[in-house]
Amino acid sequence: MTEVSVQSRARLSRRGVERLDLLLLTIEALDLNGGEAMLWTSHQIGLQAQFPNRVELWKRRCHNPLRRTTRREQLNPVDAESLICLVCAMAERLYPMLHQLLSTREPEQLTQERWMLLKERLGDLIEERMNLRRGAVMNLLDHDSEGPLHRQLINTLALCAGPGGIDRLRATLLDPTP
Amino acid sequence: MQKNTYRYEQTASLLLVEGYPDLSAGHGNEAIGILSAWRLQLIGTPELEGTRDHLESLMSAVMPYARHQLSGVGLRFGADGGFVSIGPMDSGTRHQLELRSSREGVEPLQIKLDDADLADLVRCLDRLRLDERVKLTWTIPTDQALKRHELVDRIPLQRRLAAPVLGGFALAATLAVAVLQPLPPIGEESAKPLTTGLETAQPDAER
Repeated sequence: MTEVSVQSRARLSRRGVERLDLLLLTIEALDLNGGEAMLWTSHQIGLQAQFPNRVELWKRRCHNPLRRTTRREQLNPVDAESLICLVCAMAERLYPMLHQLLSTREPEQLTQERWMLLKERLGDLIEERMNLRRGAVMNLLDHDSEGPLHRQLINTLALCAGPGGIDRLRATLLDPTP
Repeated sequence: MQKNTYRYEQTASLLLVEGYPDLSAGHGNEAIGILSAWRLQLIGTPELEGTRDHLESLMSAVMPYARHQLSGVGLRFGADGGFVSIGPMDSGTRHQLELRSSREGVEPLQIKLDDADLADLVRCLDRLRLDERVKLTWTIPTDQALKRHELVDRIPLQRRLAAPVLGGFALAATLAVAVLQPLPPIGEESAKPLTTGLETAQPDAER
């Protein structure tokens, strides 16, 4: 689908890396076989050099400072670009599911059940992978803030699905911290 | 000259563009270099159509709006006198697309889109602008990181002011305590020997 572009290989801020990993975690919450699907998709879009196996993919994601197992050095811009392409490709694969969650034309009861399932899975993944002693992680699990947060994550995935979304997602991840 | 028609479909949105190759620019028969018409069908709304200017106006309003939505900034896009503008609705999950006709006496058309409809529309427009067969140049701003001041607006005023106000109160309280704390009298302080058990040295003249 796309090659990692040489242009705009900007270094992501700490907040950008956190958000990128959270989007990948949301993809895993949407797709039960997300880990394998990510690897398969990364090979499909020509990223086997960056992510030859699950361990390499996991190592890149460990640059997120909120993880239990975290790596101190900054995420390489080429790896960041590869992860952005991967998120957009996965979002394209999962687009029908994202559409169902966001559409107001779907039956309301069914939509609520889908959101509950997503919240439950994402909450479990956050508890499993993230450092629960960090305030930012506890905020992710906070019941008051999780509703808008989940909607924002799904909306982000829907708007960055496909090749057209890569530039949008990269630009968003490069936003300064307000 | 061969007329080409391309369709870009995404769930609730269908965009059709028609045009001709610009042979003077060396385009192949498959290309569209001159746009003759376009039609946009969004489920539950009347069919939209127009000229290239209308389509460009739609793109230059919708694409930056989607970019800002990703950063959580809900601004309205589209020039006041332009054909198209889009902005968030009060609910936060809906968007209002306003289309103004170039014909006189025609009321603006307002279309309500949910998040899924907006994503469909953005994907259709993405496909059109990335389609190599369509050789048109679109004047839409490139996606860039937002400025800090643009992002600050999304944080509620209370949260933005909480930290400086709290800091100000803490400083004021510290100063108040420091000012109100009574100091020991100066005479009493100077009368005390510096170290108990040691005698002060006498001047030589008094020996």
